Amino acid sequence: MERPEAKLAEFGTAVREALATESSSAEEIRLARAGFLDHFAARSGTRGGWASLASARRWRILLLAGAAAAGAVLLWTWTARPVTFQVGTSGALVQTGDLVNGAPQGLVPLRFSEGSSVILHEDARLRVLATDTKGARLLIEDGTVDASIASARIGKKHWSFEAGPFQVLVTGTRFTLSYQAKDQSFGLATHEGQVVVSGACLSAPTPVAAGNRLDLTCLARRTPAPQTASLMALPVPAREGSASPPAVGKPARSAQTWRELLAAGRLQEAVHAAERSDFDRVCQTASAKDLLALADAARLFTRVSKAVTALRVLRQRFPASAEASTAAFALGRIAYEQKRAYPEAVDWFATYLREQPSGPLHGDGVGRLMEARLRAGDQSGAHFDAEQYLRRFPEGPYASEARGILAK
Amino acid sequence: MLTPLTFIGDEQALLQALRAGHPGAAAAFYDQHAAHVTRTLRSALGADEEIPDLLQEVFIRAIDGIGKLREIDRIGGWLTSIAIFVARARIRLRARRSWLRTFSPEQVDPAHQEQPSSEARAALREVYAVLGQLPIDERMAFALRYIEGMTLPDAAEACETSLATLKRRLSRAEKQFLEAASQRPVLEHWLEEGTRWNVQKRS
Repeated sequence: MERPEAKLAEFGTAVREALATESSSAEEIRLARAGFLDHFAARSGTRGGWASLASARRWRILLLAGAAAAGAVLLWTWTARPVTFQVGTSGALVQTGDLVNGAPQGLVPLRFSEGSSVILHEDARLRVLATDTKGARLLIEDGTVDASIASARIGKKHWSFEAGPFQVLVTGTRFTLSYQAKDQSFGLATHEGQVVVSGACLSAPTPVAAGNRLDLTCLARRTPAPQTASLMALPVPAREGSASPPAVGKPARSAQTWRELLAAGRLQEAVHAAERSDFDRVCQTASAKDLLALADAARLFTRVSKAVTALRVLRQRFPASAEASTAAFALGRIAYEQKRAYPEAVDWFATYLREQPSGPLHGDGVGRLMEARLRAGDQSGAHFDAEQYLRRFPEGPYASEARGILAK
Repeated sequence: MLTPLTFIGDEQALLQALRAGHPGAAAAFYDQHAAHVTRTLRSALGADEEIPDLLQEVFIRAIDGIGKLREIDRIGGWLTSIAIFVARARIRLRARRSWLRTFSPEQVDPAHQEQPSSEARAALREVYAVLGQLPIDERMAFALRYIEGMTLPDAAEACETSLATLKRRLSRAEKQFLEAASQRPVLEHWLEEGTRWNVQKRS
């Protein structure tokens, strides 16, 4: 009997289409994603993660069963352990460097193992850049946070917050910090204890004690907060894109190269250091990977022109590399998101896709190209991209927008 | 709420970053391949409320075995074979627990679904009821070849068997499926008139 392959193939196609209609892949994918990433984080044994904490508890039980001297060893082990942290009431796992966003439905707590906590308001975005045995270093990218640093062993704690060009050194206190990235406005109200604020537009480190408030911006001459400004810094006017480093800093820190700072995750300082070392010259000597990282750091700290410089130099110096294509993609993002230059974004995303037709950012590239073309007024181009996208990524993150374009 | 740092790099760099435990790489890896794995699981199992759990399991198994993957170009096929392994294990588990049905649309939250035509729903139920009667090897061969639309070599690789064995399984599956379908008016009608229901849906 002849095998009815053609009929079954047609039948199978119909089943496949029916399955696609029957269930929402996007929902299934979203549901599984969080669980998988949590598992991955736990499996990776994050330095300072909760998995290592569980291990510490096992050690503690063993040691308590031993001699008093072993107890001392345990104490030493515990105090030498880096601070760990978790996010939200469910205790979601986070790694250093991850972006933590505030949530529209309420405050989001970030709790540290030694008792400190940082509460994110709805508009807040922060990253825990690093932890050590005595504290943590946090980057407030935007928005408002309430910080409460545990008072035990205050003098030994190393807590610092960075917000744009400002740095807050904490010595055990409660305070509210706000930072608006769009205009680099900084506000800090200390409720208990004292903090020290420094920054590129402060002539000297400025202590802010309990009951006081400090409002600053590096872009304007002066942004006072009249009602509570009992301690008001006098910001030095700074040029946009000023290369000035923070006013405070250990002498050793200034000697570190931008590459070392970048590797240590001190992104803002790395950008400052690169600017001090002549940014253009740095771009001519850095590796392709370093240029990508430097551009990313510059973009993060609103040095958009520096980011563009680094990415363009990368493409000139390493024209056939994968990094050059990634730079094209990054230039597209900058053009789209920060310059609102949609035709330019179209060019860059198209460049990436031409250079890396099977690259890791292919799906994102087609989706962004479609969006950029739409906003640039190229309806037929966006229509073409939407078809391309849905053909290859029918359940991808741009699928609903693609279908909307095709429906018009 | 959490957005891992974006991973930037090519496939080889992605593989190295996964082995090193880069969280952004895990997210990138998942985002690149989740749709493909979901489609494979669906082809094997039908619309199923356990797909998210199985999807997660596939990626966890993939990460656990990422050290063994040598050829980055084969990552898609490798994930397909893991998905088939996971789907087979789930079918066997359900077979042992006879109170569970292979296709259970009534358990799926309707709020999470688009509303298909009732004919499509009924047809899918019938399709997976028939596939549920097939031996598991034949079922997987049929699902990958016809529903997933894979080539014979790719389907053989996903089933971790030889091309000749896959062809034998497929031949048996075709025969058994058509025989069983002939006993079910919805499927018989559908097979005879091709994609009649899709034509109707678009009109």
